[in-house]
Amino acid sequence: MKIVIRMLKIATIILWVIIFFFSATAVYSVTQLGVSTGEPKILPSVTGIRFSLPFSINNGGYYEIADLNLTTRVTDQQGTLLDETETFVHSIPPDTNLTENHEISIGLNDILSVNQTLLLLEDTDFNVEVFAGLNFAHAVPVQLSLNTSIPWGAPFANFEIQETTVSDYNETHVHAIIPIRFENHAILDVSGTLSIEAYNILGQSIGFGTTTINALSGYGVYADIPVYVRHQDVSSLTSSGRFHVVFQTVMFTLEWDEYHG
Amino acid sequence: MNTMVKLDSKFFMKTILPRVIKAAIWGVISYLLVYYLPQMLLSSDMVPMDFSESLFDYGLITVFFVVMGQLFSGTIIGCGFGIAKALTIMVFFFSVADGGLFSMTLPITEVVVNLTFDISVILVMIVSVNLFDIARNLLEAISILTDKTTQMNWKLK
Repeated sequence: MKIVIRMLKIATIILWVIIFFFSATAVYSVTQLGVSTGEPKILPSVTGIRFSLPFSINNGGYYEIADLNLTTRVTDQQGTLLDETETFVHSIPPDTNLTENHEISIGLNDILSVNQTLLLLEDTDFNVEVFAGLNFAHAVPVQLSLNTSIPWGAPFANFEIQETTVSDYNETHVHAIIPIRFENHAILDVSGTLSIEAYNILGQSIGFGTTTINALSGYGVYADIPVYVRHQDVSSLTSSGRFHVVFQTVMFTLEWDEYHG
Repeated sequence: MNTMVKLDSKFFMKTILPRVIKAAIWGVISYLLVYYLPQMLLSSDMVPMDFSESLFDYGLITVFFVVMGQLFSGTIIGCGFGIAKALTIMVFFFSVADGGLFSMTLPITEVVVNLTFDISVILVMIVSVNLFDIARNLLEAISILTDKTTQMNWKLK
């Protein structure tokens, strides 16, 4: 009996020593972790925009960091999912420095595919949910989550159709100039063809005009679109009616309606 | 009457005083190891949470049971304190660690970071050690009782 008691006492002491040793070295290891994030960059890409977040982890502790998983979910103000990206690092051994780049790509086509035309016309903020998980020392899983936002600049911000001017063209038609203006708040340049089809209040097409637009990032765009309409339809063009605007690029086609009058 | 006083003082000097001194020394050592040293080593800058209250509670529990364990060492009461200590520490760690999932919220500039540690492995280790301790104290209590019964039998014979 006495031997069993003594053995149990020794086992208990050894286990307490192990627990305290592990806890102390784990806390020390956590203090030796160096996590730094670089300057987040918003860059243009072939399909849209790209948010690049470089980060580095310097594991100066005694234990391995395993299964590092960084996931970002980008949603608009209505909660529509625009992008979900995951960066996974299998292992960061002790005394190792890891440098990774987490990239979030938002294609303009993705925005249009979820019927979010408004995002191309109005500036807003995207919600970004960040989830990070890792397994410390193969014993302590750690999870981190945070919510932040990234600004979104619309490529056709403040789009406006200004007052139409009309001049006689021939006996049957008039030559109308539809001036448009907008600002490209997006990080990328947008080039394409802007077409305007004018409709009267009955929904009948009364004229069509087109022009080529090259909107540089950060600049305002002013353009005049020539439209030829019949004399009897002039009032529909200047007083009340609807313009169907189509902007066509190699990346996307955007359509929307502008009402006037 | 005089003999009784002499016996009591002899018993006090030979049995109680060494135990009190031993308990006091162990109490001080426990206080230094369990409360003072961690508080010195773990500054509030290193650990992003207020741990001083929990550390104080743990220190209080440990010092109390170490002192009581030393005062009543080798007795049934001592074994009872040993079992009580193991149970208290298990309950303490379960309540502090929220059953193994330890969560905290850190406001970093404008962003609020939610951090969750799953320390259930460490909790299982602590529970195992305390179960060992309970088993040891029970065996020790049985051993003390067996020894006393054997002594009584010898006296009766």
